[in-house]
Amino acid sequence: MTAEIKNRFLIPLSWITTEGNKTGSWRFLRPRFENKTAPCSAGCPAGEDIPLIEMLIAQGEFKEAWETILTENPFPAVCGRVCFHPCEGFCNRGSYDEPIAIHTMERFLADTASRYDFRASATDTPSHKERIAIAGGGPSGLSAAWFLSRLGYQCDVYEASPEVGGVLRWGIPAYRLPKDAFLQDLRHLEEKGVGIVTNKRIDEDFLKDKDDAYSAFIVACGHGKGQKMGIPGEDNPLVIEGLDFLKNIREEKSVGCEGTTAVIGGGNTAIDVARSVIRLGGKAVIYYRRRRGDMPAFDEEIRMALEEGVEIFELLSPAEIRRDNNQLLLSLQKMVVSGEESGRARVVPDGKKQETVRVDRVIRAIGAKPQEAWMNPPDNGADVQRLSHSCLVYKKGQKPVVYAGDLTNETKSVTHAIASGKQAAIALDVLFREGFAAVPKKLDLCRIGNGQAHSIEIYTGGRRKERSSHIVEFSEVNTDYFTFTPRIRPPLLLVEERRRSFNEITLKISAGIAIEEAGRCFNCGLCNGCDNCRLFCPDLAVIKNGEIRTINYDYCKGCGICVVECPRNAMSLEEEENT
Amino acid sequence: MDAELMQREFMYPGHVACPGCGAAIAMRFLLKALGEKTVMIIPACCWSIIAGPYPQSALKTPIIHCAFETAASTASGVRAALDMLGDTETTVVAWAGDGGTFDIGFQALSGAVERNDNFLYVCYDNEAYMNTGIQRSSSTPYGAWTMTTPGRDWKKMRKKNIVEILAAHRIPYVATASIAYPDDFIRKAKKAKEIKGSRFLHVYTTCPTGWRIPSEISIKIARMAVQTNIFPLYEVEDGTRYTINYRPREYLVREYFRMQGRFRHLTDKDLDQIQKMVDEDWQRLLSKAGQG
Ligand SMILES: Cc1cc2nc3c(=O)[nH]c(=O)nc-3n(C[C@H](O)[C@H](O)[C@H](O)COP(=O)(O)OP(=O)(O)OC[C@H]3O[C@@H](n4cnc5c(N)ncnc54)[C@H](O)[C@@H]3O)c2cc1C
Ligand code: SF4
Repeated sequence: MTAEIKNRFLIPLSWITTEGNKTGSWRFLRPRFENKTAPCSAGCPAGEDIPLIEMLIAQGEFKEAWETILTENPFPAVCGRVCFHPCEGFCNRGSYDEPIAIHTMERFLADTASRYDFRASATDTPSHKERIAIAGGGPSGLSAAWFLSRLGYQCDVYEASPEVGGVLRWGIPAYRLPKDAFLQDLRHLEEKGVGIVTNKRIDEDFLKDKDDAYSAFIVACGHGKGQKMGIPGEDNPLVIEGLDFLKNIREEKSVGCEGTTAVIGGGNTAIDVARSVIRLGGKAVIYYRRRRGDMPAFDEEIRMALEEGVEIFELLSPAEIRRDNNQLLLSLQKMVVSGEESGRARVVPDGKKQETVRVDRVIRAIGAKPQEAWMNPPDNGADVQRLSHSCLVYKKGQKPVVYAGDLTNETKSVTHAIASGKQAAIALDVLFREGFAAVPKKLDLCRIGNGQAHSIEIYTGGRRKERSSHIVEFSEVNTDYFTFTPRIRPPLLLVEERRRSFNEITLKISAGIAIEEAGRCFNCGLCNGCDNCRLFCPDLAVIKNGEIRTINYDYCKGCGICVVECPRNAMSLEEEENT
Repeated sequence: MDAELMQREFMYPGHVACPGCGAAIAMRFLLKALGEKTVMIIPACCWSIIAGPYPQSALKTPIIHCAFETAASTASGVRAALDMLGDTETTVVAWAGDGGTFDIGFQALSGAVERNDNFLYVCYDNEAYMNTGIQRSSSTPYGAWTMTTPGRDWKKMRKKNIVEILAAHRIPYVATASIAYPDDFIRKAKKAKEIKGSRFLHVYTTCPTGWRIPSEISIKIARMAVQTNIFPLYEVEDGTRYTINYRPREYLVREYFRMQGRFRHLTDKDLDQIQKMVDEDWQRLLSKAGQG
């Protein structure tokens, strides 16, 4: 043996790898990728895919983010302004520092869409023969039209007013919702080819469909008629209905507001009336029969109203109105709290204690009801399905009718109206394809995380369907990957300017700030490709192919590090079946 | 971490480390930083097994298995041989556990770095002789249970401060690193690679088996060690210039101890005592870094 040969054999050189050892056989726990449901998205009545929207914003993909909103909600410009954003109350980040400014992000996307003239990309949908008539062009009717046309139906919206929009166009004042913002959203609907017929008031006979032009009807007429107080002197011409008052302003009619205006009520209408009075140069005083904390108006609106100079008096209920020359004497009954009912104070008159105030007019804003009785859904019966956001009626020998929006929603808000329009569209689609009885079950299948919201993407079998319904809890987020950062606050118009004009209060934010804010989002339950799983795997068992990550179970020993180190709980660890 | 670093891998799956092994993760990170032109010198330690029995290997780089006490001297020899062959490019790495570094290989290490021999010594520290069945080493922390410090005889001595000892040799680069902070770890390994002379990395590597913890919290525990100041991340250049790389959130040590079976016997009083020790060490480190 030569030295050379000897050397070659004596220096040990490994020549095969350890890959022959299938260490996966050691495993008794099995990790897997599993996207889950974020609490914000389950808490959004419109079911927007918020974790995905924030992820896309953080990546600078604004158009994709905006289209992700459109998938579930045709009104980003409107909702980015007037939605009361229940999502933020569910945000997991709220348990860490402050919730994500989801509402401001939506507004940012709408502003960006307007600036760069984004157009909703056409989605190919089958064309069905059924044609649907919708009575009422408010947010619920328009949403129903949007979702129906996405599902491949032709529809016509009939609107009594000269323009569609309902409360969005004729109610909410411009300082919160400028006309252009509504028109921006309306454009997608028009581009979808939804037929819109204005100045056309529908009556009960319409539902009988004498010409057999439609396969179904949606009644979405809203609550357009103000409720009366039922007190003496109410019919005086100086007592004005709040909805009419707001409508006159939006129609740019001249409305005098000199002197003192008493506003009766505690809802959004009352607050908007009072704030409008201030802007028109008057003094506004709100009288509310319960306590301020019981007012149904959004806290933020109440706070701003006070800032702008609105006065609010609580525990006073109107008793009588008397005319005194050009003024009114408004008598108010003092109330006391006698208990609680559904989270609010129950109040009763405090003996005979009254006070009387001298005012120049009274604006009544104590609630609204349907304009006509036939708009109310019928009582329960075998042919009536009361769904979470609508009511489906299919009487023998008649066309199906869905009642939607404020007519059926317990919570009367824009997003609930949108949720309602979506539910009406899905319900009709199921009814046409599978029959009346299949509706509840099918709706159930497209709920988000077993909450109240439905997803059209889940209904149509999109990628969101793959997510589990488990709602990610704060304790399941690995907060070690996040640092405390305050939430952004959008700039507002100065109070002095707010008092003088109907200019929009909330101003725009820059893209840089939006990206930062969206970057705070945990993206609960949704993989954002951070690669922690792959990085920390001791066994090189996480494989990335393109953007798809998989686990190589030949080698995965089931240590579970990937699952714990996933910052957003987009993985799960389960017991191995064969052990 | 950039995509290229994420992608490059010099380790094979199928190695036989326990599930959740921190030492396996540490090796992955180290080689990502150093690349293919590396020779590994491995004395007796967990990695003698993990690397695989001949003719298998878990690494794409050459490995020399050497005797327990000889990692540093073997590294000196391999370096000298490569220099003779004119190969100045290859990085020579001694990769040893805490037993082979703090105890058994200590004199060889001290000798080699005193000569400022040109190699990188990495101690992956799992705080006991794990491979032979969890015997205490001079790296085992105060308070820990091991097979040789059982029951009430839990270890009552402090962990040896190996970084200070190495820094006292005035070698060009000594640093701590943790598997829970991959970017910091890789930056330090790359920096060490570029330096001539003796370089020492003290790497915290969780041992789920020996520490009696669930494997899935392997990284979490490592991160907590840093966040509680039990294992601060810092560098010492030329034995004098201290840089603290991470200012922790200063969680209480209690949370770290309570998660580990090896510390289960400790009372609240013991933990208070340990908190004091940790605070004291941290203050010392701060003052060395001129931030005291
Ligand atoms: C002043 C005010 C402020 C509000 N602020 C907010 C807010 O900030 N955020 C929020 O989320 N919600 C707010 N709301 C509530 C929200 O606007 C409503 O819940 C929502 O508009 C209901 O939508 P809808 O489509 O059911 O009804 P509507 O918006 O009322 O729309 C109904 C439409 O039907 C039309 N119509 C009625 N009868 C007929 C008929 N016979 N034939 C044809 N068309 C008919 C009406 O003209 C109207 O256009 C506010 C409401 C008011 C009144
Ligand atoms: S952190 Fe993001 S994904 Fe999670 S609840 Fe909040 S907004 Fe939704």
